Amino acid sequence: MDIKTEVLIVGGGATGAGICRDLALRGIPCVLIEKGDLASGASGRNHGLFHSGGRYAVADPEASRECITENGILRKIAPHCIEETDGFFVSLPEDGLAFRDKFLQACEKVGIQTTLLNRDEVLSLEPELNPNLLSAVKVPDGAIDPFTLVLENARDAELHGVKILLHSEVTSLILDGDRVKGAKTKDRIRGEEYTIEASYFVNATGAWANQILKLVGLRIGMALSKGSMLITNTRLNHGVINRCRPPSDADIVVPNDTVSILGTTSIRLEDVEHFEVTPDEVSLLVQEGSKMIPAIRETRFIRAYAGIRPLFLSEEKGDDRAISRGFVLIDHAKRDGLQNLITITGGKLVTYRLMAERTSDLICQKMGRNTACSTHSNPLPGASRPAGLRERFKQFSAARGEIVCDCELVPRKEVEELLGTEKLRDFQDILHRTRLAKGTCQGGFCVYRLLGVLHDSKMLQGDSNKILKGFLEERWKGIRPILWGAAVKEEELIEYIYKGIFNF
Amino acid sequence: MEKPWPKTNSDVCIRCAACTAVCPVSRVSPKFPGPKQAGPGAERFRTPGEPSVDQWIDLCIGCHLCDMACASGVNISELNLIAKAKYTDEKGRPFRDWLLTHTYLFSPLGSLFSPIANLLLKSGTIRWLADSLLKIDRRRKLPRYESPTFRQWFKAHHFNSHKKMAYFYGCYTNTNEVDVAKATVEVLEANGFEVTLPSQRCCGIPMLGNGDFKGARKLGLWNVPSLLNSVRSGLDIVFSSTSCGHMIKHEYSNLLNIPGSEEVAQHTFDIFEFLRNLKEGGNLNTDFRKSSLRAAYFAPCHLKSLGIGFPAFDILQLIPGFKVDYIAADCCGLGGTFGFKKEKYEISEEIGRDLAEAIDRLKPEIVLSDCEGCRMQIRHLTGLKVLHPIQILRDAMTR
Repeated sequence: MDIKTEVLIVGGGATGAGICRDLALRGIPCVLIEKGDLASGASGRNHGLFHSGGRYAVADPEASRECITENGILRKIAPHCIEETDGFFVSLPEDGLAFRDKFLQACEKVGIQTTLLNRDEVLSLEPELNPNLLSAVKVPDGAIDPFTLVLENARDAELHGVKILLHSEVTSLILDGDRVKGAKTKDRIRGEEYTIEASYFVNATGAWANQILKLVGLRIGMALSKGSMLITNTRLNHGVINRCRPPSDADIVVPNDTVSILGTTSIRLEDVEHFEVTPDEVSLLVQEGSKMIPAIRETRFIRAYAGIRPLFLSEEKGDDRAISRGFVLIDHAKRDGLQNLITITGGKLVTYRLMAERTSDLICQKMGRNTACSTHSNPLPGASRPAGLRERFKQFSAARGEIVCDCELVPRKEVEELLGTEKLRDFQDILHRTRLAKGTCQGGFCVYRLLGVLHDSKMLQGDSNKILKGFLEERWKGIRPILWGAAVKEEELIEYIYKGIFNF
Repeated sequence: MEKPWPKTNSDVCIRCAACTAVCPVSRVSPKFPGPKQAGPGAERFRTPGEPSVDQWIDLCIGCHLCDMACASGVNISELNLIAKAKYTDEKGRPFRDWLLTHTYLFSPLGSLFSPIANLLLKSGTIRWLADSLLKIDRRRKLPRYESPTFRQWFKAHHFNSHKKMAYFYGCYTNTNEVDVAKATVEVLEANGFEVTLPSQRCCGIPMLGNGDFKGARKLGLWNVPSLLNSVRSGLDIVFSSTSCGHMIKHEYSNLLNIPGSEEVAQHTFDIFEFLRNLKEGGNLNTDFRKSSLRAAYFAPCHLKSLGIGFPAFDILQLIPGFKVDYIAADCCGLGGTFGFKKEKYEISEEIGRDLAEAIDRLKPEIVLSDCEGCRMQIRHLTGLKVLHPIQILRDAMTR
């Protein structure tokens, strides 16, 4: 199977999915190739913080301005992916108020609306906050569901004729003079190899950017920074909580549906494939996080995970947080003389659409086309669907059918619908597309039920024991770092189920 | 400042579902998702300050079996009660629920005019009316009033001793099962105790079960100072209704946060727990007549939740010749006012089916239970004679 298209986009994160939707809406044929599932890199491994830009207002006004503009746009085009919670930049006694004043000024300059709240006001909104806090600044932060965002972008692109190849990787790039002619690719599940020819190539692989560039002998200055996060069992905060001080470790707590996510760390990495959350990071996250929300010291965690930020280095700086969180669009024609290759990297999840717009603009310019972007006014499919915790609980309460995931209240019907509509190729793909296995027991109970559903609908491929084992190994990676207290008991029970009943 | 309702730690739930395995309601009705879901599970979805959407929370029968099954110590039924209170506060409780939880207000009248009251309660027309207007199920027999009340009987009763006890008889015993209270007094007297009656009102458990925390707390605030008075004058308190006992010993402090309730709880005992303590100290009058009765004993949920074992079952063994079997079934299904409600009647009866079958297998001449609710339900389901164990003990005492 060989494919010919106008633009080949490598990387199925928010940026890649955003680009193929943007191009598709402009009527430019394209193909997206992703070596894993959609959103399996940094797009799916982040805080889920819907930035207002406040966090970067003081140090990086440009990135901050991009954030607040996109913040406004995404509220309109992707309301079902966003919980409009607001965010609070909290000043603790040890932080003083000097930074707060700078922060307020910077926000005003960038155009971020702020409200200064006194201690009692903020405590009435966020009762779990440290009662000794001095004040808090309210900004339009929120929580975003990155999986749905990426999936909906990809779905809309597909509706507009884009072909999306998942679990397929680029193994080499074929050069023809100063142009890339095609990409040799391989289906990682079936092992099938084929060639994709295109007029333009976009490298949207984030932290993997240099791995693609290596195929044509190029390299960009990029730092890989690991950020680790912890997930609580219950949601502790209504809105996003930030420390009102220069960005540092473990100073954000983002609510996410039933849980809160506490993060992050920032640690330089070389290996983009193999990394884990270390005990030191866990201690740091709990220690620092509990300064903002004291209950963090006592609360139960259900998972630890890490993602990699691809940070573009224009010049070497000591602290990765000092590097711009703005994005970089590299036209390799100008930089390296390779006429039809573009790399887009860096940036934030919130600015994915802008990154896609700029990339598509560049492609249009190269193609000599003059088609305007429409993603800023064109809502994503499903944009009117209701979302949120209460809504899900209400649906569960009103019409209770069989539930597959008890913790996150995922009904069997939802799973069956998903299996019926999407071409899922891997077990983890299912888990990416529902909240299944994201709750208290982290799939200990629902995953074997899911296998039952797959079996009933005759969709189970391969050895189910192997699938379960694969899932459990992945699950264990996330659980091992937070294994104390109730989590240990939970694991004993799960271990008993799998070893004792399923004879693993 | 008053402490808010305690926030039970649902974080320690390990999702094992032991609670759901023992839940009588989810066993018979798919409408109730079971304690694991309704309690710690739902807690992750409830947003403070937002109206409730979990209307099924009203189906929690309040048996506390889930709490006892939980290996992690989550007070699931407490979470359920708090959620139920929020839900019913928002939705409003029907007049029927007010009526069922305020019987203590009009039961003295019922007793005074018992011949007429009982005729009315038995009348098909009245029960039809109650069913269609109030949604009190017509299949449920309404309890008869007795006259004179226990309090009236007690006024004319004299016994003096230097050893004194206080007795919380409960409002149902006072007007509807007077002999239970008489038997309690007589057994205590046979052991040399003079009984006093601290002033008391309904313990409030029917209100609590209907989500009316405010009403229940009001009654608790009335009862506790009076009981505390008895305790501080050196008296121990006994109760013969395990539901009243559960309310006084647990809910007054745990859930309702009533000042002084912990001190009262320390000195309040189930009547058979008290007798068993006497026996352990070698002070129980065990001068019993031989009996040839074959009985079956059913342990109420609220006795189990007291965590004192089955003292009545232990003490009854002391009666020579008396044969008593333990009924292996959980929860009778009445749940206080629960089983009277039209929309819950069928659930209530279905829960009780296990118990009725277990009794049928034992074929006893008589059934015993410490809770008036269980006794009512067993009579209703089996038609057998059902007594409080204290009545059997009293009958066995040689005076």
